[in-house]
Amino acid sequence: MAQQRNTGLGRRALLGAAGAAALASPNIAFGQSRQPIKVGVPTILSGRVAQLGISSRNAMQMEVERFNAAGGLDGRMIELIVRDSRGTPAEAARLAREMISSDGCEFILDCEPSSGGFAVHEVVRETGTVTLHVNSETSSLSADPRQRFWNAFRVARQGIHDSIAGGAYAASVVRARNLRRWMTVSPDYAYGRDTTAEFLEYLRHFVPEVQVVGETWPRLFQPDYTENITRLSQGRPQAIYSCLWAGDLVTFMEQASIFGLLANTQFFGVNLADYTTLQQIRNLPRGAHSGNRYLRNFPDVPGNREFAAEYNRRFNTFPTNWSWQSATAVRLLTTALREVGGTSPRAVAEKLRGMTIESPFGADGRVTMRAEDQTLVGYAIGWGTTISADPFVENMQTADWNTIFRLEAEWKRAKGWL
Amino acid sequence: MRGLADSLRGDLLFGALAFALLAAVDLGLGSPGLLDFTIRFATFALLALSLNLLIGVTGLVSFGHAAYFAMGAYAFGLLMQTGAWSIPAALVAALAASALFALVVGALCVRLTEIYFAFLTLAFQMLLHSVILAWIPLTGGDQGLMGGIPKPAFLGIDLARQDHLALFSAFCLIASAVILRQVVRSPFGAALRMLRDNPDRAAFLGLSVFRYRLGAFVIAGTFAGLAGVLMSLYVSGAFPSFAFWTTSGEAIFMIMLGGISVFLGPIVGAALFILLNDRITALTDHHGLYMGAILLVLVLGLRKGLLDFLVEAWRERKERRS
Amino acid sequence: MELNELLDCVSTLSCVVTQVSAGLTIGMLLFLVASGLTLIFGVLGLVNFAHGSFYMVGAYLALAGYGATGSFIVAVAFGALGVAVLGLLCERLLLSRIYGADVLMQLLVCYAIVLILDDVVKIVWGADFLSMGVPDSLRQPPFIVAGGIIPYFYAILFLVTAAIALLLAWGMGRTRFGRTVRAAAVNPAMVAALGVNTTALYAVVFAIGAMLAGAAGALSAPIRSVVPGAGVSILIESFIVTVIGGMGSIGGALAASLIIGLTRSFGSIGFPLFVEGMMFVIMALVLLLKPSGLAGRRGA
Repeated sequence: MAQQRNTGLGRRALLGAAGAAALASPNIAFGQSRQPIKVGVPTILSGRVAQLGISSRNAMQMEVERFNAAGGLDGRMIELIVRDSRGTPAEAARLAREMISSDGCEFILDCEPSSGGFAVHEVVRETGTVTLHVNSETSSLSADPRQRFWNAFRVARQGIHDSIAGGAYAASVVRARNLRRWMTVSPDYAYGRDTTAEFLEYLRHFVPEVQVVGETWPRLFQPDYTENITRLSQGRPQAIYSCLWAGDLVTFMEQASIFGLLANTQFFGVNLADYTTLQQIRNLPRGAHSGNRYLRNFPDVPGNREFAAEYNRRFNTFPTNWSWQSATAVRLLTTALREVGGTSPRAVAEKLRGMTIESPFGADGRVTMRAEDQTLVGYAIGWGTTISADPFVENMQTADWNTIFRLEAEWKRAKGWL
Repeated sequence: MRGLADSLRGDLLFGALAFALLAAVDLGLGSPGLLDFTIRFATFALLALSLNLLIGVTGLVSFGHAAYFAMGAYAFGLLMQTGAWSIPAALVAALAASALFALVVGALCVRLTEIYFAFLTLAFQMLLHSVILAWIPLTGGDQGLMGGIPKPAFLGIDLARQDHLALFSAFCLIASAVILRQVVRSPFGAALRMLRDNPDRAAFLGLSVFRYRLGAFVIAGTFAGLAGVLMSLYVSGAFPSFAFWTTSGEAIFMIMLGGISVFLGPIVGAALFILLNDRITALTDHHGLYMGAILLVLVLGLRKGLLDFLVEAWRERKERRS
Repeated sequence: MELNELLDCVSTLSCVVTQVSAGLTIGMLLFLVASGLTLIFGVLGLVNFAHGSFYMVGAYLALAGYGATGSFIVAVAFGALGVAVLGLLCERLLLSRIYGADVLMQLLVCYAIVLILDDVVKIVWGADFLSMGVPDSLRQPPFIVAGGIIPYFYAILFLVTAAIALLLAWGMGRTRFGRTVRAAAVNPAMVAALGVNTTALYAVVFAIGAMLAGAAGALSAPIRSVVPGAGVSILIESFIVTVIGGMGSIGGALAASLIIGLTRSFGSIGFPLFVEGMMFVIMALVLLLKPSGLAGRRGA
């Protein structure tokens, strides 16, 4: 099907200037306002992180159905084209190209993790397709000016924001309990290294006397963490930081608990508070510190609880961090489409830049697509301590965005990015 | 040698026709989807074709062929990102890097046979993969080479344009195929086949098993490097998954789809593989289930690649008639 | 490199106790997987690339068994026997058709099995990672030996895996079946001529090999997350073990597994960033210096 359509379309599309021409041509060619607005979604639906990609797709479907039920964009419905990249960046790039050139997708909601996200980024840099990166948390994607161009946006939490918030929270615990000796255990890839370095940087910024006495770096998806845990127990740290996530974090917590590692040590796990993780850890220790990934009671507003309830009703599981990000991406895109009244890429991108929408996931009921670096800010970040049963996390302390903005600007200046 | 010259003339003619046909179809229809397909097809066909020089012709089953693919892609990407290199110069340098790497690894591996050769090539590929992941300042680690690969125009060819890149890729594939076919037909190629079929006789005739195998290994690695260059141009980057064992596995898959004993087998296999992969990805989430089932039917049903099967069936029919 | 830390560690008894016991336990679990792989290769001449998937299915079946009965023993038995049946099916229906074919055909059939099993597991159990958790009855405080920590469950794992290893050694060395298997590995034609049904023998050996992988998956289910695609990293590691130990040698696999386990536990202290690379370096060295492996008998 797609092949036939695109031969008709292609004749008039000038190849070099592929991007804009290929995007606009379905409308010009057929002049039908009822034609669906196709949105391409490359993501991971197989292998070890399939669960996250599926949770992204679920949330998008929910939001898109709501938009379509409300009449779409003057009768034009959104049609999601979701495909599985199997986690390989080259395949993600290929899918994005195919969606744009063969399927006629006018927008890309890139639901790849960082590595695939960067691959898609390069494709849409060339094609000029308006793209929202939904799940890439790597700061440089939007913070580094060399990575920035007019049609790419990030609708995800960002490593540097989390690190500043985490550092500030950990500092308050450190002062109260006098925790000097720290160790870290994080996955050995770009996200793990950057996030850990940034967390430590801000922890030291707030409490300079903290010492890091050892680090251990399991590889991503390592099946067993015994060697890392014995390494940690040799160092006798007072506190441990980790940005392990999902199944890896579950395995780590399980093995750490049978070594008794967490009995006398404060654990700071930035990615602990996601339901799929919390529910899978048997004997979740009381009092481990965690950042919020997604919690239905943080922010504790009706919109957030309703989102979780509807998601749970439809998919029989709870939303993940990728789910709220995906829902937010669709809400941002649809709001921009309605306000523009069309799908012109330049106009939609212009509208997205600096746009603020109401959101149950915002720290103060709103989130903003910051104009200067086209990334999401104002989303709720908080840290709390775990308890073994639902709601799993208590004493949530909300991070202060003014502190985040101030230190983020300093960080960018130090990197030469501002 | 006359026969060789004749065959070269024939191959060149065939190559020129194939290129003209591809170019006419690509430019005539001008569909972006078709251009994309051409680029990927040329890339994977070249990878599979180069691997078949080892597997089909020399009888060396390499599980680590993607290492040279990745080497070409990273070397080319890194050189282009310096901004000081033109595309042809970087391309030649990237091929040299792949060849050199293949020379070093090959010198260590080709002494071994069968399964040990397979595992040692795999080990070196995984070692390269680990190095790419660990050497973050140079390679960007798991995120790959970021920031895009600049593609300055040369000789009126602007590879930033999909149509130019498609024709360039098709040209690279066809030119490489002509060269590789000459290699296979040459006395060198005949010696390789003899090493595969009857190593004792080859040794008796005084052929150096080591040198011939190493030669084949380096040639195969160099053309895999060219495939890597095309891949890095296509995705405008280079990623560690290029050096992962799945890339080698897919190349073997393609060869088996098309056939190992017919020269064009791997090219047909690459086309089949891409079409299958794209259709399955577009239709279902259960990529593995369908791909696996198709693979089983092919391997257990035909027990050989498609072209192998067809050529043999044709030969049998001819024999029965005469 | 943090070689000073490594020196500190080997000079304190508590550190040595912890690292050695952890390394041995990791090594023994690895041995279960690798011994099946090497057994199948030794007798059938088949490189079973689907072995990691058997490990994964073992873990899922154990999870199901534990969910249904609440008994860890039943869970492990269910995982191991279920995978034995699965292995038998794979061998009879698929792999037996390509005996004698080149390694390429074996690779492709196994690759297909890997792709299919990964998806089947996802369809049956969902894409979420799952965990079993250490059963309450086995959740005891760790042993403290000379200041070193040995978790209770790890001690159990070590004992069970060691018992399986002894059983395997006894079965291969002292029973009639074991002698037949070893004879078939050396000269299958002779064994067939003596009236042994080699078809059945091959099927049984393959099922036993698969069962060992399934048992490893089931035993490790309480401490590792159970997830589609979990087989790949196990597969690569057990290949390394098999190559280092010598393809086809169970004793070699044991030695190599323990070497890898100890390299991991001490490496995480001495060279934390090169533990993975070290595996491949050891493997490449063995292949270059003694291609048939530590205990290999086949020439290369």
